[in-house]
Amino acid sequence: MMKRIQSALFALWISVSCVLTIAAGLFIILYIFIKGFKTITWEFLLSNPGGIPIGVEGGIFPAIIGSLLLMLISIVFAFILALATAVYIVFYCESQRLENTAHVIIQCMAGIPSIVLGLFGYTVMVVSLNMGRSLLSAGLTLGIMIFPFIQVRIEKAFREFSKSVLNASYSLGVSKVYTIFRLILPQCRRDIVSSITLAGGFAMGAAAPIMLTGAVIFAPAPKALSSPVMALPLHLYILSNESISMEKSYATALVLIAILITINIFAITLTLWRKEVKR
Amino acid sequence: MEKGSQEMNVLELKDFNAYYGNKKIINNLNMAIKRNKITAIIGPSGCGKSTLLLSLNRMLEEVEGRTEGQILFNGKNIYSISKEEIRRRIGIVFQKPTPFPFSIYKNLTYAPIYYGVRDKKRLDEIAKGKLIISGLYEEVKDEIHASALKLSGGQQQRLCIARALTVEPEVLLLDEPCSALDIKNTANIEKMLLNLAKDYTIVIVTHNLSQAKRISDYTAFMLDGELIEYDETHRIFSFPKDKRTKEYIEGIYG
Repeated sequence: MMKRIQSALFALWISVSCVLTIAAGLFIILYIFIKGFKTITWEFLLSNPGGIPIGVEGGIFPAIIGSLLLMLISIVFAFILALATAVYIVFYCESQRLENTAHVIIQCMAGIPSIVLGLFGYTVMVVSLNMGRSLLSAGLTLGIMIFPFIQVRIEKAFREFSKSVLNASYSLGVSKVYTIFRLILPQCRRDIVSSITLAGGFAMGAAAPIMLTGAVIFAPAPKALSSPVMALPLHLYILSNESISMEKSYATALVLIAILITINIFAITLTLWRKEVKR
Repeated sequence: MEKGSQEMNVLELKDFNAYYGNKKIINNLNMAIKRNKITAIIGPSGCGKSTLLLSLNRMLEEVEGRTEGQILFNGKNIYSISKEEIRRRIGIVFQKPTPFPFSIYKNLTYAPIYYGVRDKKRLDEIAKGKLIISGLYEEVKDEIHASALKLSGGQQQRLCIARALTVEPEVLLLDEPCSALDIKNTANIEKMLLNLAKDYTIVIVTHNLSQAKRISDYTAFMLDGELIEYDETHRIFSFPKDKRTKEYIEGIYG
């Protein structure tokens, strides 16, 4: 009897949790959709913000472009470093102590509050390296933020790779480099692509690291790496915090969410399609 | 005399010891492996026969083992040759089939491409040739671009042997290649090994005594890291000199 009540309670608990989570997610998306959808027009998407204070009229075009570019720069920067770090730790590092140290550092990096990273980016990149508040400074700061996120996932994918298949490759006398590029990376592509996409979404949604390093209240779509940029999350923050326009801030949020969902769907289809081809 | 023995012996082990950490796995082993013959290594589980096999092409380093003493390959110490080179010339096939998760064709061209074969026609020839040798060609010729993971266990193992041959090794090491296979697949592989012995030196570790008896020219019996007896197969099985060999063959150790 007791056992049956227990399992019934457990079943109730897990199903209610599941429903609540899905409901909360849907609620957020629908709420933003309803509040923001009527404001979205082609003009809103494709024109610069205007009016006084800025943002009351016009659109968010520079912020969309800015956010996409920031994401791109941060992904490229973080991915290159993360891939190299993971390859080194898994395939080349022979000292257990070095490996543990690297892991601790990466863990710590993942735990740094994003506003602190912003301050770091400001002092190091904006001031010391004299890069100014720019697309590049902000992109690199975001890259530092998502680096541990990508690195951990790539390393995990490498560790899950079958040791016996790896040895089969070494036993043919081929080099480590060839094995990594021809056997392991193609196999881990799915995990790598999905980790990059998730990290890209994470970078795109972050406002704190870019506030001090490159994102500004108004700038046209950037022409160079050294231009300051607008970004969706900061724009959203300004619009709502300064009570400039709630409608436009919901619309901005909707655009941000829509972009993130699109990127995720794109990544999922890409990886599924790749898997299909392989079969 | 020295030269003559080198021509006969592909591999020579002298005062050879192998360790995992501090644990000694192989103890003072001396043995010579004859060219173009099939040598079987038998013995109970944990006697060090797989470790011995891994030592021969320096794969032991990949599983963090270390060695003492000498192994000569064509008269040259294997540690004076790069591990890539030694592994190209001494191929190995493991107990569990390890097909790469790509197509059959790509499995077979993976190593040749590394060694600089770029010509599509030449690659096709290699793939086809090795599939024929391994007796797989008739079975898979229409789906050579299908995933190797879709093959049966026996086919995968034959593919792995074919793959090991794509780099033209001189010696082929096999670590219980049939232990996961049924009788029919085992027979296929044995037939293929007998064919291969014309061109390659084969060293096979096996649990299956009748398999050793059926296909090998020489048999080595190992127990607790030591080589107890090593002789022509028919002698080992008909007139074992050592009591322990006799007991093992009669099924005492299992």
